[in-house]
Amino acid sequence: MAQWGVTETKMGSHRGVLVRAGFLLICALNASNVCADEPKSTPENTIHVQLAAPVPPQKFPKAPKFFISEVIDRSGNPQPMLVLRAKGGVFLDRQPTQITREAVEQSLKAADLLAADAASADLVLQIYVFHFGLAQGSGLDYFGKVEFSVMVKNLKTEESQQIQAAGTCIANAAVRKKNIQKNVQANIEGALEDAVRNLVRGTQLREAVASLLKGNASAPVAAPGNGMAFEHGDGSGSKNFKSESQTR
Amino acid sequence: MRLLAIVLLAALVIAPSLAAKDAEPIYKHVEAKHFTRVEGVELSPAFTDYLYAELRNELAKTKMFTQVIGEGEAVEDADAPNSLVIEGVITEYKKGNRAADAIIGYGVGARSLKIDANVTRRSDHQNMEAIKVHVKVSPRWNEQVMAKAAAHQIANEVKKGLKEKAKG
Repeated sequence: MAQWGVTETKMGSHRGVLVRAGFLLICALNASNVCADEPKSTPENTIHVQLAAPVPPQKFPKAPKFFISEVIDRSGNPQPMLVLRAKGGVFLDRQPTQITREAVEQSLKAADLLAADAASADLVLQIYVFHFGLAQGSGLDYFGKVEFSVMVKNLKTEESQQIQAAGTCIANAAVRKKNIQKNVQANIEGALEDAVRNLVRGTQLREAVASLLKGNASAPVAAPGNGMAFEHGDGSGSKNFKSESQTR
Repeated sequence: MRLLAIVLLAALVIAPSLAAKDAEPIYKHVEAKHFTRVEGVELSPAFTDYLYAELRNELAKTKMFTQVIGEGEAVEDADAPNSLVIEGVITEYKKGNRAADAIIGYGVGARSLKIDANVTRRSDHQNMEAIKVHVKVSPRWNEQVMAKAAAHQIANEVKKGLKEKAKG
């Protein structure tokens, strides 16, 4: 009787080992699958996104000079350069913040609205990128979306206004990897161009410029160093920073 | 016989060019705005964005406008009388019933979306056209497919209405 009990225990332990081994094998296979699915950036799957041509901005009554102080990523995307995960992935060659900065600067520069530095600028722009790349589409196409908000600040009066800009583009889906990359690139470039146009030709920017530069003629010339007030290493600038809506 | 052949060839060459003339843009700009929704319409925020993008895409395909501009973009004062604005409201959305769609079919249990859109002239805000769209799609398809169908229908209605108006 006692012998039978021992045999039963032995068999039970064998079964346990087998179950454990099976479980470990499944885990190992899953882990290797996950690693295989994770796309990696290579020159073949990397795209270069840029504006085909600068977007002509609207005409201002008195052309102001803009300077882009910084571009901040607020998308919360852990992999901002990965735009498409399927089919080995499609990657951007630069950070979305850099692409956005280049696109806006290119358009402002072409219209001679870009200042060399913050001190010589009438208005300083701080761009927050909320979305850059593909968004959820119908599945039959690629839906490109670029969305950012811009804090327009007059350093002399310390007043600021926030404006929104968004661009969308819909491109056909593709099956072949080469065509997928081409379509995704065209799609994101279209959305970027649309977003930049929405910014530089938008009524929001016109109104912001009009209201922020209204008091410029009557306002006293900025004290030395005030022109660079936005670059606070200790973050004190943000404490003194008041938007127009807050002032109201 | 030779003359007849020449006439036929000429007709073949001229006819497409005459047809292409119809597709020339009538208006300079059209601005599509994000559609609002009445209370109780339960659609994701991404739906409105996609509808806006798809509507712009479909409006560009109509070839009635030189340029389809984004929401809030400025237009030259000289171009304003020849520019339009499209605004709309999503008035009703029914999720549909997958079971009814699968068992009965023939549109029973389909997803349904109703949109009221207005086309106005930019300069004087004169109402050019009022459009009512009702889209029904299978509940198995996602919201974006429904947006695609709605945008296509709106753009077609806009094209039809403006062409009739242009004819007088």
